[in-house]
Amino acid sequence: MKTFHQIILALLYAFNLYGYTDNNNSELLIASERLNGSSIQHAFGSSKELATQATVRLLRNNKLIALGTIVHSSGYVLTKASSCVGAREAETSDGEKYLLKIKKRYEETDLALYKLITDKNSFQVINWDVDCNTTEGSWVLAAHTNLKEIRIGVTSGTPRKIGREGGVMGVLLTTDTSPVKGVKISEVVPQAAAYRAGLLEGDIITEIDNRRVKNQDSLIKIIGKKDPGDVVRVKVSRKTEIKKILVTLGHRSVTFDLFNRNLQMSGPVSKRKDNFEMIIQHDLPISKESMGGPLFNLDGKCIGINIARVDRVSTYALPAYLPSKVTSLFLESRPYVKTTKQDDQSPYESLSLNHGRRARNSFYWLSDNHGQFCKSYHPVPLAYFH
Amino acid sequence: MNRFFLHALILFVSTLLLGADVVSEKKWFSETPQNHDDLKAIQDRLKLILSGAKKSLVAIESEDGAGSGVIISEDGLVLTAAHVIGETGKKMKVRLPNGKSLPAVSLGGSEISDAGMLKITKKGKWPHVQIEKMNSSKVGDWCFAIGHPGGFDKERGIIVRLGRVIGKTEDTLQSDSRLLGGDSGGPLFNLNGKVIAIHSRISKEADQNFHVPIECFHINWKFYKEGKLLTFDKIEKKGFLGVSCQATEEGLKILNVVEGSSAQKTGLQKDDILFSLDGEKLDSREELTILISEKSPNDAVTIEFRRDKKQISLQVILGVRPSE
Repeated sequence: MKTFHQIILALLYAFNLYGYTDNNNSELLIASERLNGSSIQHAFGSSKELATQATVRLLRNNKLIALGTIVHSSGYVLTKASSCVGAREAETSDGEKYLLKIKKRYEETDLALYKLITDKNSFQVINWDVDCNTTEGSWVLAAHTNLKEIRIGVTSGTPRKIGREGGVMGVLLTTDTSPVKGVKISEVVPQAAAYRAGLLEGDIITEIDNRRVKNQDSLIKIIGKKDPGDVVRVKVSRKTEIKKILVTLGHRSVTFDLFNRNLQMSGPVSKRKDNFEMIIQHDLPISKESMGGPLFNLDGKCIGINIARVDRVSTYALPAYLPSKVTSLFLESRPYVKTTKQDDQSPYESLSLNHGRRARNSFYWLSDNHGQFCKSYHPVPLAYFH
Repeated sequence: MNRFFLHALILFVSTLLLGADVVSEKKWFSETPQNHDDLKAIQDRLKLILSGAKKSLVAIESEDGAGSGVIISEDGLVLTAAHVIGETGKKMKVRLPNGKSLPAVSLGGSEISDAGMLKITKKGKWPHVQIEKMNSSKVGDWCFAIGHPGGFDKERGIIVRLGRVIGKTEDTLQSDSRLLGGDSGGPLFNLNGKVIAIHSRISKEADQNFHVPIECFHINWKFYKEGKLLTFDKIEKKGFLGVSCQATEEGLKILNVVEGSSAQKTGLQKDDILFSLDGEKLDSREELTILISEKSPNDAVTIEFRRDKKQISLQVILGVRPSE
């Protein structure tokens, strides 16, 4: 458990040492003139108005769970399916509330189509930019969850496929040899799948789903083929006993977030942020509850739908050609067919099949604002003695 | 409305003084955009210089972690953060945007400002960018950060974040360009495509991050390049003079003299202006710290200072830093 203590300590450090505020410092640029300040937002003019009017808030028990994109004037709304489970109500920028009915869910794209229950046929609709000529370094904007302001940033990185993540049990394994054939658990991640199922540190996993587990690789291979939510039967040897335990697998990213200091600095992120056939990346400072809302370019064209909050500097959006196709196929009542590499509708020439290298559990250089020398705005106080 | 009139007045006066062309040409550099066209100008400018800027970015890798850096000379001098190099003379690896890995060795820097330098040791002509001159960047300038947040990822590529300079002092520059672990040591550019700072630390608010201003490198260039690394450890254990100062145009103005320190014993006083130490001109507080921390307690240094327009030269025997 030593590692955990270290991690928890590290987290405490991170929280203790945050907390720089820039109040009463007249030398700082005033808030309204900053990237996401009111003056800059104002400069976006009609694009700003459109962004707030074509976005809806989706509520469950009066709590915001996602944003939605109005794709048809009669009140069809597209959103992020996995964020929107149990949505009952939608609220538009004018404060009106509507009951909701789900029309269709698309597992592949993590999109869901809802209909606002109303006869109104004059909702502000987004205007798709299916050509996807948005290149790196382009302004992008999206509605803030209050549907009054917008958030501003730029696109970056290469548009790409994000591979499947696979399920995890949430255990750390050791290479220690033991008399029993199998793989020994050195640590169980608190609150993770294995923890909830009752696996313990020191247990030796001998079988999973009736398949022998000889070494770490074979275990990872078996589990890696499963999805989060799948149930596996784990046979363990605990002291002199043999136990059979059912484990419902969790999401890799959620399970191991505890180890990822970058995510600790990022705040809540989306649960599903993997397995998308194509994404564009941007740096808008928006919350995970902002997923499902539309992403616009400077001209007010909708270039995509925000689909996953990844970390403090990254959000993925599905490029417009994916959600627009889902929408038009539904409205024309045709089944959705997954795009392939050869599909001429895809504006991207080459799709790479490998997922980008996972963030390792190592330490990335960029400390938070900690330590004696940078707790305040001046890293060295004026009264530092030489 | 007041601001509108102010802007109108400024524009009018500037038009008279400079001619309208000059004003509109540089609008993207540090002005607050008013409309679509102003925003478009910033976007066009960013796209124009981004690809050149990206070529100079490196990922820096060692056993301890992964950071970023920027090549600023053809022979491969890299600016980064002190907490990325860690120590001087360390063998490191840098990775170009295409994934090619090159050997490098860490040079010097300072844990106070967090400035760090390293050098690619393989011979070659490396893609590089220019650094901005002293005192050129200011609050309000548009800027963009590039780096490898979360580590090098060839498929994803380099991540760019636009923002503005929101604060600047002698020792630190703040921007609202968002940063994450792995960005450390990466460059912050202005819209002229020149490096104005190096990513150093983040704050809880994602839009208030800290960078080492390029001025910190300019002032101590020689020390860093020679492989001198100022550490807190050195400051604690090496020589101690006993003054706190403020940088002014003329030199370092003494704000306070520590009771019982070498400075007090020798007769240095509040408001004395220090301008050289052992013949080295003093441009910043950090430079004084570097010079003093190169010396041991009981070493003698010659300090030149100005008091009431008189120029005085004094020899001071350095002491030991009091333990609070």
